[in-house]
Amino acid sequence: MIKFKQASKFYPPQTKALDNLSLNIGPGEFVSIVGQSGSGKTTMVKCLIGEERLDSGQIIVGDWDITRLSSSEVPFLRRQIGVIFQDFKLLPKKTLAENVAFALQVCGKSSKKINAIIPPLMKIVGLSEQMDRYPHEVSGGEQQRTAIARALVYQPKILLADEPTGNLDSINAEEIIELLQKINKFGTTVILVTHNREIVNNLNKRVLTISDGRLVSDQARGKYII
Amino acid sequence: MFLTLSRIVKFGFQDVWRNFWLSLATIMILILTLFSVNLLLSLRIIGQAAVDNLKNRVDISIYLKEGVSEDKALGLKARLANLDNVQEVSYVSQADALEAFRRQHQDNPEILQALQELDKNPLTSSLTIKPRDPDQYNQLIEQLSQIQDPLIGSRNFQDNQALLAKINNITNKINDIAIVISSIFVLIMLLVIFNSVKLAIHSHRQEIAIMKLVGASNFFIKAPFLFSSIIYTVAGVILTAAIFYPFLNVLQPYLDTFFFGYNIDLLQYFNHYWWQIAGLQLLGIGTVNLLASYIAVGKYSRI
Repeated sequence: MIKFKQASKFYPPQTKALDNLSLNIGPGEFVSIVGQSGSGKTTMVKCLIGEERLDSGQIIVGDWDITRLSSSEVPFLRRQIGVIFQDFKLLPKKTLAENVAFALQVCGKSSKKINAIIPPLMKIVGLSEQMDRYPHEVSGGEQQRTAIARALVYQPKILLADEPTGNLDSINAEEIIELLQKINKFGTTVILVTHNREIVNNLNKRVLTISDGRLVSDQARGKYII
Repeated sequence: MFLTLSRIVKFGFQDVWRNFWLSLATIMILILTLFSVNLLLSLRIIGQAAVDNLKNRVDISIYLKEGVSEDKALGLKARLANLDNVQEVSYVSQADALEAFRRQHQDNPEILQALQELDKNPLTSSLTIKPRDPDQYNQLIEQLSQIQDPLIGSRNFQDNQALLAKINNITNKINDIAIVISSIFVLIMLLVIFNSVKLAIHSHRQEIAIMKLVGASNFFIKAPFLFSSIIYTVAGVILTAAIFYPFLNVLQPYLDTFFFGYNIDLLQYFNHYWWQIAGLQLLGIGTVNLLASYIAVGKYSRI
């Protein structure tokens, strides 16, 4: 599903964010990527969504080599991979439903289709009652659910979660992880990038540990080892 | 395509409405700029009208010899009226000239006393010539100088020439200064607008980044902002007109009083040239707005 082949990324003057990183993630997997700050996790995410480019090596998503994407191809990549972030990244002047709908509007889906997709999707993430509220009117957990709903509108094969629980209390964090597991059960590959030891240990799923831009551990039912 | 365009229009209006205060601030800056530009234009119109009026008051007199009959004087008048640069020739008889002289010096008893002591009218009849175009004054004087007629007693154009040269000199200097000041002023205003729009979009930078992250194309991100800047421009021009016209209505009576007899009608001028003025403002401000939006959104959508 996702392949990093000897991927390297340098930041001037001498920072090696990714150093000959090679790994495979199969379809339908739930993988946690862990590592200390500055280990290269965020650079991995940025390279996967076309925000950064590798200096050498290769990234393949499905059958698509995304290593040297042109800027006009990047929007298409981002419609294939659902992404959620620690800071939710919701549009503040749009309601929760509008935030989710926006992702469909940008790719030219008809209003009829959008109106058919949004309400059931908001129900799945438990936001039927809040869909007409603005982000600042709801809790962090609800904002993150909205971000998940937005990430799912394209029915992506991959869901990339970059520190999704970083801004949430333990109850909300747990709910979000449960939601991610539910999504994974429907067949979506989930990649969870996190610092949260407790969450990783409770998941009991595959854990990739990154340090200094290298893969130092790959455990099928792993624990947070750093 | 229609769906995309309708969404761009919708998001443009939504952006203006949901960022109400920011939109209002941007439109206010546009109104202030356009109002100032209109004021500058008004000052120029008033100045030009005043100078033209002054020039129109400069006429040329040809004094006839003593004892020239009115018939002969009118014959010469008809001849002069046929000249290209002449707008109007009027005949001033000896009696009229004396009457005018008396009126002019009615507060000076010594002159009036001296006049009474003379047993005949010392003034001669004359022809007063008004040029068609005050700027062609020199050519007219040249033409008049070449006319040889036994009826003409004297012609002294030097005073008028000197006066007109002085007016022209002052007008040219004022025009030069006005052009420089106007250019600097307009440039500053355009920079203010440019930076206001850039700042307004700067406040949307996070939003632009999010749009990119959910897979919006550059066109889909930029277009609503460009459309919003068109809304700002149109609103700015219309609201400026809505404020400026009542202002002109208030100003006009003061102008009429202050420039009595000069016939300066700003309201009529703006009514007559409204489409040209509004069109130029839409084009100028719109271009700057679009350019600023394009550059600013481009800067923040490089993710």
